[in-house]
Amino acid sequence: MAANFWTSSHCKQLLDPEQVDVVHQQDKDKGITLEEFKLIKTHMANYILKLAQHVKVRQRVVATAVTYMRRVYTRKSMTEYDPRLVAPTCLYLASKAEESTVQARLLVFYIKKLYSDEKYRYEIKDILEMEMKILEALNYYLVVFHPYRTLSQLLQDAGMSDINMTQLSWGLVNDTYKMDLILIHPPYLIALACIYIASVHKEKDITSWFEELRVDMNVVKNISMEILDFYESNKMIADERINTAFSKLALKP
Amino acid sequence: MDKYEKLEKVGEGTYGKVYKAKDKASGQLVALKKTRLEMDEEGVPPTALREVSLLQMLSQSLYVVRLLCVEHVDTNKNGGSKANLYLVFEYLDTDLKKFIDSHRKGPNPRPLSPSLIQSFLFQLCKGVAHCHSHGVLHRDLKPQNLLLDKEKGILKIADLGLGRAFTVPLKSYTHEIVTLWYRAPEVLLGSTHYSTAVDMWSVGCIFAEMVRRQALFPGDSEFQQLLHIFRLLGTPTEKQWPGVTALRDWHVYPQWEPQSLARVVPSLSSDGVDLLSKMLKYDPAERISAKAAMDHPYFDSLDKSQF
Repeated sequence: MAANFWTSSHCKQLLDPEQVDVVHQQDKDKGITLEEFKLIKTHMANYILKLAQHVKVRQRVVATAVTYMRRVYTRKSMTEYDPRLVAPTCLYLASKAEESTVQARLLVFYIKKLYSDEKYRYEIKDILEMEMKILEALNYYLVVFHPYRTLSQLLQDAGMSDINMTQLSWGLVNDTYKMDLILIHPPYLIALACIYIASVHKEKDITSWFEELRVDMNVVKNISMEILDFYESNKMIADERINTAFSKLALKP
Repeated sequence: MDKYEKLEKVGEGTYGKVYKAKDKASGQLVALKKTRLEMDEEGVPPTALREVSLLQMLSQSLYVVRLLCVEHVDTNKNGGSKANLYLVFEYLDTDLKKFIDSHRKGPNPRPLSPSLIQSFLFQLCKGVAHCHSHGVLHRDLKPQNLLLDKEKGILKIADLGLGRAFTVPLKSYTHEIVTLWYRAPEVLLGSTHYSTAVDMWSVGCIFAEMVRRQALFPGDSEFQQLLHIFRLLGTPTEKQWPGVTALRDWHVYPQWEPQSLARVVPSLSSDGVDLLSKMLKYDPAERISAKAAMDHPYFDSLDKSQF
């Protein structure tokens, strides 16, 4: 939709990690820990992806939806904004903003198909109501930039746009949406971090290419470490842990 | 909306009523623009969503009217509910049309000073360049849409992004005819693939109007509008503008020869005339871009550091 990241609202809205990793008081009162807060967001990112695969929208729409969801939770509590409603609504909103509208009734249909659990059940009118609330929470800033386009350009520039490197680094970028990186770092740095990990994994030496870019390699390596840490700590997301977190949320205050 | 006190209706914009209002808490003057949300089975219309988010993004420039916030209001009347979005903009007291009018008629008719024209045109190019760099066309640039802060000498683009995505409306929602005077020839000729060049044509017309204090091409129908243009710039040829005769609304027109552009803007410097001629190129591909216009020698004598 828009071409220039540096003058965009996305750029001006980048946050510090300390601003993102805040459990809202209402959630804290229910005993939600920072770890659980992150876990629920990861789980919801997966939920959005699953739904998206059923309603068949592009990866870009998924990425935008997850970004909306993560932004909402920098401002609102999960107690007030039930993640199980926020997630599909963000996908709904992102599909409109990215010009590939998905009908609300289609989403509702697949929600029912995917989850038998009653707590996931929401109707069209719930989604439409939540849509307005999310718009307000986002202050109508809907333009989001993603690492994908930069990723392809950078791979080409590095002479590494073969299918292996492309697939691996593209998949890595997809996985970064399971974390809050998109709220914290400009997209090109996330793309570079994914290229860095992929190149190490495929044992390709691209040190000189990185040097020519004149980017701060410390930042790129830090982001890479974060991604690798995430893989390490989420080797097994036990459903149990998610259920524990959700049952805490369900507590009456 | 209780936060604002409506003072007066200041305009019937192309897309809705505009009110001058006061923020009760801060005393700040604002312009309220009401946009109906046609809520149906599918919630907020995607067009409205995109428009508001584009505005939100673009209004970060000093040369685009600032969107202060968006208020969503639901009213329930007789069982039916209506949703409105109020766009809250900074308030500016005048626009370029009123400003030019005040220099043409009234107690003290006088030309706009050359340095003011230069400054306004530069700010206009800067604002347009900002929109274009974000992939957004204005499509309806005209003096009424350029708001002025007279004291500070600042010009800002308004009514942005509220244009429908692919068509230029002929009639506003109140069915008053939208002015054609600033419309590019490719739009008048029914081209479906137009680009940023359409805005630069409008900028050229506005430039000439500031110098002349009257419109350059005051047509009252699409056909008349084209004839006005052809009479001054000559009837376009395939050589000048490849593909023109294949455009949807192209007809056989009388063959006019190009007239001297300098003659219609006699008080403009030769650099100014050169820039104007580049803004009024027939072939959209040849028309100068907003960014390139900012580097034109016409602006050499302007202190650009102030912008």
